Amino acid sequence: MINITLDVNNERYQVEVAAYHTLRDVLRDKLGFTDVKNGCSEGECGSCAVLVDGKPVTSCLMLAAQAQGKKITTPRGIATDGKLHPLQEKFIEYGASQCGYCTPGMLISAKALLDRNPNPTEEEVRVAISGNICRCTGYQQIVEAIMATAAGMNK
Amino acid sequence: MSKANNLFRPTEYFKPTSVPEVVKLLAQYGEKGSPIAGGTDLLVMKEPQVEALIDITQLGLSYIKSDAQGIKIGATTTLADIEASPVLSKSPYSIIAQAAHQMGTPLVRNLGTIGGNICNALPSADTMPSLLVLDAIFHVAGPDTKRSICAADFCLGVRKNALETRELLTEIELPVLPPRTGTAFIKKGRVAAADLSLASVAVRLTMDKDNTCRDVRIALGAVAPTPLRAKGAEALLSGKEPKDELLKQVAARASEEIKPISDIRASAEYRRTLSRVIVELALREAIGNITTQNRNT
Repeated sequence: MINITLDVNNERYQVEVAAYHTLRDVLRDKLGFTDVKNGCSEGECGSCAVLVDGKPVTSCLMLAAQAQGKKITTPRGIATDGKLHPLQEKFIEYGASQCGYCTPGMLISAKALLDRNPNPTEEEVRVAISGNICRCTGYQQIVEAIMATAAGMNK
Repeated sequence: MSKANNLFRPTEYFKPTSVPEVVKLLAQYGEKGSPIAGGTDLLVMKEPQVEALIDITQLGLSYIKSDAQGIKIGATTTLADIEASPVLSKSPYSIIAQAAHQMGTPLVRNLGTIGGNICNALPSADTMPSLLVLDAIFHVAGPDTKRSICAADFCLGVRKNALETRELLTEIELPVLPPRTGTAFIKKGRVAAADLSLASVAVRLTMDKDNTCRDVRIALGAVAPTPLRAKGAEALLSGKEPKDELLKQVAARASEEIKPISDIRASAEYRRTLSRVIVELALREAIGNITTQNRNT
């Protein structure tokens, strides 16, 4: 077992991990961040997505040990001081969430997109979420919510 | 935990900061040690014999450099960095960036590396057709020496590469190409992301002033045990003008040189037909790129 320090949503956590533990395992099972979902464990569905140093990654494919020294943001971490991020507000307004399982991962991919490209085209939005599978919505409301967020933030 | 359960349960994690340290660990652990960069294949395959994980992301091998001798890409450069690189944004090297863009998903591309894609040596390795046509050279570090392996000699079979157990791929070098060289890359999958290729093709050719083609390279992925060059097809086009009818013959010849299989994604027959179609499309695109270059100079 290895002792590591993780920086998650601007707070530091000491945790003991095995060499094979993934970042997702540790965030969910050891630190209680159930906003990081357990989907396919193979990097195909995107439900475990988190930001690592601002980049969206599938946390099921990163070792927990590799995350030491990096800034991790889980989906709940895009809200600040208890106030929802505009993306979260638009997801609610546009009905972009049905069962909710893809939503945390979608928010991570969307946040990363808007951080690097504040005014994306619809095509760019669809590419940005191409690693997040949704069973329920058919993606339309999700795309509209992200476009509306961009429009609102660019006023 | 018992390995007899066939569980992936490595007990050691190392984070070396130099290539010689890595080589030493690889020698120490042999088959039980594995380098890990993005982990996007390793943590999916979960091979039970692995006891030691050797993190190779802190070796300074993530870079894309351009100089008079060509382009050098560090082995742990992520697919996302390759996709977005200004150095790789222009023809003829842009086929590598195009390939990277179509691999996995945006989330996986932030982790997966070009070195991992090459060393996994899958038939469908999407970076390989481009590396084959660009005459890439792979630089490798070992216990006593460094050596270089041509891309064409690297993939030996399904998941079998030319590295010794104690060796590490460190850099991919792309030589300078002559002017009037056009390239193209096409990947066909079933869906827009996260799909292995049904067939992929990379093409490179140089057109002389008399409109004849030389240095023709046609490489296909996912249609044989390893990515491969269609040398018969290349020879058909060499020294000739790329007329319509000839391009069709070249594409047909290429589709005869491959060994596709039928699997859950597609039948061998479909892959063979698809290969013929995309070889012709890629040749036309590469030739078109040369014409565009000329207009812009």
